[in-house]
Amino acid sequence: MFDPVLFTLMAAGLLLAAWSGLWAYLRRPVNTVQWWWGAVLTGLLTVQSVVAWVRLIGPASVPETVTFIAYSAGVLIPLPVGLWMARLERTRWGSVALASTAVVVAVMLLRLWQLWRAGSA
Amino acid sequence: MPEPAERELPGSRPASRTPEPPAPAAPDDTDLESGPRRALATLYGIFALAATARAVVQLATQFDQAPLAYSLSLLSGLVYLAATVGLATQRRWSRPLTLVAVCVELVGVLGIGLWSLLDPALFPHDTVWSKFGYGYVFIPVALPILGLTWWWRTRPGTSGDGDSAR
Repeated sequence: MFDPVLFTLMAAGLLLAAWSGLWAYLRRPVNTVQWWWGAVLTGLLTVQSVVAWVRLIGPASVPETVTFIAYSAGVLIPLPVGLWMARLERTRWGSVALASTAVVVAVMLLRLWQLWRAGSA
Repeated sequence: MPEPAERELPGSRPASRTPEPPAPAAPDDTDLESGPRRALATLYGIFALAATARAVVQLATQFDQAPLAYSLSLLSGLVYLAATVGLATQRRWSRPLTLVAVCVELVGVLGIGLWSLLDPALFPHDTVWSKFGYGYVFIPVALPILGLTWWWRTRPGTSGDGDSAR
């Protein structure tokens, strides 16, 4: 985990959550920019997790390896679900779904950071 | 934000199941039966996955450390799973299943939340529901309330088409 990257991704997640949350409040469905924002974020999260796994195979180690791997894999799940729901549900409720999954991702990233920090990089 | 862009998303099929008016009219977000149901199912699904995975890992690797907490985590995972199935399906048993799951969840999160505060020794390791779900930004205590609200608003007999439905 590279702190600046992780926190940038977390901020991107929170921004997406705030934006689609506002969209839900305004009774709007998820728009194209928001959708791609989520998609690109998912891609970047995937890269980050893969890099972390490679480093774990190498010199890096974390105290709770199983938990860390579960979180770094699990953090990739919510956004695709939210994006799929945003496509399926073209109402404000799709925005609610995307916003809440983005919040979950941000929280999981925080937990990932804590787990990584506890180890030796 | 270009208005037409909001109509089409990448990958969405041109012929959507519900025919929409060509004008950028307000989407049909007053249908409480389907929209909120899907949003709730999304959240419940993620919690089902998270709680179940967490409990399975903990039970498998460190059961001895906190058998009660980890067993309760597994229970909460199964309750979330039941609620997700109830919300995501449209069978005769879907709504009853959702109601039972959400009620068990409410009792669980309030009961275990209180219990974990009164007798922390019993919960050396946290469960999803410890301290009313503070480890999960209190979403665990909000979910059943949202679930029950949805269930009540959309119960049979109401028109189910707006906040004013009575």
